[in-house]
Amino acid sequence: MVDSNKWGMVVDIDRCTGCQGCVVACQSENNIPINLEEHFNQRRAIQWIRIERYWEGEYPDVKARFIPIMCQHCGSAPCEPVCPVYATYHNNEGLNVQVYNRCIGTRFCANGCPYHVRFFNFWEPEWPESLKNQLNPDVTVRSRGIMEKCSFCVQRIQRSTRESERDNEVLEDGDRGLNPACVNACASNSLIFGNFNDPDSTVSKMKEDAMQEGGRGYRLMENLGTDTNVIYLRKVDEFVVEAPHG
Amino acid sequence: MALTRRQFLTLMGGSAGAAVLFQACGLPEQELLIDSPPAMPEDLVSGIDNWYATTNQQGGSSEGIVVRVMEGRAKKVEGNPNHPLNLGGHSALSEAALQGLYHPDRISAPQVRTGPRGSGEYREISWEDAIARLSLRLGELDSSNENNKAVFVSNPTGGHSGLVLEKFTDSLGSRHLSYEALETNVLRTALKAVFGTDSIPEFDIDNADLVLSFGADFLSSWVSPTRYARGYGEFRQGNEHRGRLIHVDSRFSMTAANADQWVHVNPGTEGLLAMSIMQVLSSSHSNAVFGDLDADGVLDSYSPANVANEVGVSVDTINQIAEDFSHSEHPIALGGGSAGAHTNGTQNLKAIYSLNHVASNLGKKGGVLLNPRSPIDGVGAAPPSNSFSEFHRLAEEMKAGNISVLMVKDADLYYGMTDTVDMKVALDSVPLIVSFGGMMDDTTSVADLILPQHHFLEDWGTDVPLAGPGYQMIGFQQPVVRPFFEHRGSNLGTKGFADILMATAQVMGKDLGLDGETFKEVIKNDAERLYELDRGGIVANSFEGFWNGVLQRGGWWDTSYKIDNVPEVNRLDGVASPEFGGLEQEFYIQPFISTLGDGSAASLPWLQAMPDAISTATWQTWVEINHKVAEKKGISEGDVLEIRPANGRTIKALAMPNPAVPPDTIGIPIGQGHRDGGRYSAGRGANILSVLDSKLDSENGSLAWAATRANVTTTGEWIRVPKFENTVPEFPRDEHQDIIQITSGDNH
Repeated sequence: MVDSNKWGMVVDIDRCTGCQGCVVACQSENNIPINLEEHFNQRRAIQWIRIERYWEGEYPDVKARFIPIMCQHCGSAPCEPVCPVYATYHNNEGLNVQVYNRCIGTRFCANGCPYHVRFFNFWEPEWPESLKNQLNPDVTVRSRGIMEKCSFCVQRIQRSTRESERDNEVLEDGDRGLNPACVNACASNSLIFGNFNDPDSTVSKMKEDAMQEGGRGYRLMENLGTDTNVIYLRKVDEFVVEAPHG
Repeated sequence: MALTRRQFLTLMGGSAGAAVLFQACGLPEQELLIDSPPAMPEDLVSGIDNWYATTNQQGGSSEGIVVRVMEGRAKKVEGNPNHPLNLGGHSALSEAALQGLYHPDRISAPQVRTGPRGSGEYREISWEDAIARLSLRLGELDSSNENNKAVFVSNPTGGHSGLVLEKFTDSLGSRHLSYEALETNVLRTALKAVFGTDSIPEFDIDNADLVLSFGADFLSSWVSPTRYARGYGEFRQGNEHRGRLIHVDSRFSMTAANADQWVHVNPGTEGLLAMSIMQVLSSSHSNAVFGDLDADGVLDSYSPANVANEVGVSVDTINQIAEDFSHSEHPIALGGGSAGAHTNGTQNLKAIYSLNHVASNLGKKGGVLLNPRSPIDGVGAAPPSNSFSEFHRLAEEMKAGNISVLMVKDADLYYGMTDTVDMKVALDSVPLIVSFGGMMDDTTSVADLILPQHHFLEDWGTDVPLAGPGYQMIGFQQPVVRPFFEHRGSNLGTKGFADILMATAQVMGKDLGLDGETFKEVIKNDAERLYELDRGGIVANSFEGFWNGVLQRGGWWDTSYKIDNVPEVNRLDGVASPEFGGLEQEFYIQPFISTLGDGSAASLPWLQAMPDAISTATWQTWVEINHKVAEKKGISEGDVLEIRPANGRTIKALAMPNPAVPPDTIGIPIGQGHRDGGRYSAGRGANILSVLDSKLDSENGSLAWAATRANVTTTGEWIRVPKFENTVPEFPRDEHQDIIQITSGDNH
């Protein structure tokens, strides 16, 4: 067990099939409002984790590539210094955290985020009465005017840490109670979560391996120097048609 | 103090500079830490959660799930890490089961129709009354020896629910038909012919080094996508060598998108390509299997030169695939989906699966593993569904007045049958339609009597998966929450499906010959038989311990109970060319499953809002059309198109051009266009199944649902396509910072 934690994720896009299982798992876990047709039409649908699809080439030599994108929990997060009320800040476990009851909705953080992973509640979220039975009691429902984003399912980290302390147990690497909802849902195991401060954790080993010369690791838009806590592993393809475009 | 603008800016600049300086001086980190830890006050008082294991059999595939329950409410679904098929992963369909459970439009009590049929006017009645009405009518048919006029149509139902259903219809002497909008019949016929098996074998994708798939969108919707996705992850990065996926398809599906090589073929020619591959292998490699497989020399006429043109693939490509297949250590060939949805569908699939005999991969690691029978006699996987032709005949009987009572469970005939069969008119001719639907699907919305069943998360059951893990298993389903609409006191509520049938039989004085008074007892008594087998993964000193173990794990399995003998090689038949309705029409229609299954999941808003993998479209019915063809025709995204097959029926859907659609094809997702199904699905989009030609598979009378051609015209209307793409701004382009980075090989 290490003294402090630095939570992070490794995303292997060679394994990702683009099935969107993570997207729905996230919505279920985090009380994300139902994205209705009009929300998509206004480009205001909320997805803390999303699958981006990129086209390469055209018929018959065509490829579509998928990549899951969520908050990168940057070590030097562009969203943090711009918040006038400290609603978004970096905690001592490597998480970029959003304090909903501080947020006043300036949306400066969304402007600052190069990964476009912050979503604003333009409406009061609404559920039919019976569907409210499903809402997760561990997660605050965000009201209108509040910014929200992926929290690496901080409520799961909190709960499993608390319960392991209570039971005097060591919280193990890969514990399914600790993993974010998207990681548990992923059938092809393209998302791996863990503690980068623990040299023996799976993510640490994968990161070390991947970031070596010739390894598959990279960070999204690394040139920005955001020092992300999410490491991507490159897609493998012998026959690249052309550079991907959006 | 009056300030000039310049003075003001100078001051501001100074203070900002001071702030930077202040930070740079380096205060101890702890002091800068803002003390609002993620442990929010509300986190500190937390409820206790319990996770219960059960099985999801919705949509025809089996998945072991665990459900998080707090204070009697189901909160979250996750994959069961112990379950042999999904090992912890789960599909969006399983996740969205929660929305089915708490759906605002669930039917909360038995209902009898009061207004005209289809008007939605119903009155609640008691369970006693509802069961009495059904048993009275069935009893009348019984006493006048007209039992044959009662028909039960269900989804293919296996496990103990299937057992009770079978006993119920047998005791009544009524007919039972299994219905699927997109039949697995063709697949099952082909597998029976090639491997002699009644179930779908396990494909050990995890350990394969080449997967050659034909038309089966196995990563998205085909048979057991969560299980296959798990294998796919291992196939890509789990082993020493990265596997290679070649996907042959007439549409660019999600599986095609993930393939190393997408081989586009003309629709329905997948079997010809498989034959041609075998022809290459038989002529260039000595393989003893061809002595049995091709004893009649049928392969001779399928040389690449002979079929390349019809298939639409070059001779070189056919040779290359054959080479890749023969040089792989652990190749697998699988096929289904649109490859089996043509007039030659069964022949296509037989040819495709025969490739596994060529690879001699049966029963081997990285190959095809046949599934053993169920561990409990009489309780098996779901029987094959009845063919489209049989339902066509049923519709004719209904119209002729030969059907007096139609009982329906999870089989949406009204929605799924093409309009050329007139099922809607036929249903109207049936005097009594009884539905066991817990939600208003289209067929239930024209029912006269509704006996609403529990949601599966509230009910008992077992599951013998049709596509098992290669060893003996049976999944267990248990109620994870009390029924949301509980039959208690003055609340009428819902009941378990099997319990409704058992109660009806009891009222009618029929003995179903089941070992138990309630459905739970029947299951528990059979579990005792499992216990007596004294094998499998659950070791317990007493039956109660065993029973708890089975429920905790979500099932029973015996990893050592496998099928070792390799099936005999049957001779190859020829593969005919596919036939299409309306050859003069411009486009092949490729109906495909996107996020709503065969339409049965359309009531669930998470699945409606889940972006389609290829187009990212949601909530609507769209038409995939080649972007250049669209440009030539002046069609742009959101244009409302009219799709007109030769049969004269039409639907409207929104244009969604993309660069991967073959120019002679349009792809249309299945699942929308419901007359009912609750607030999230009623009246939304269009139903492509309703306009298909009734072309049939030449061998088993199944619907060739990919054999329709159509013309496409613009209507002048435009509707914005609700899609996720462009919801967030595009990333800035930087040639050194591609969002998706690709390497030509894992050098490390």
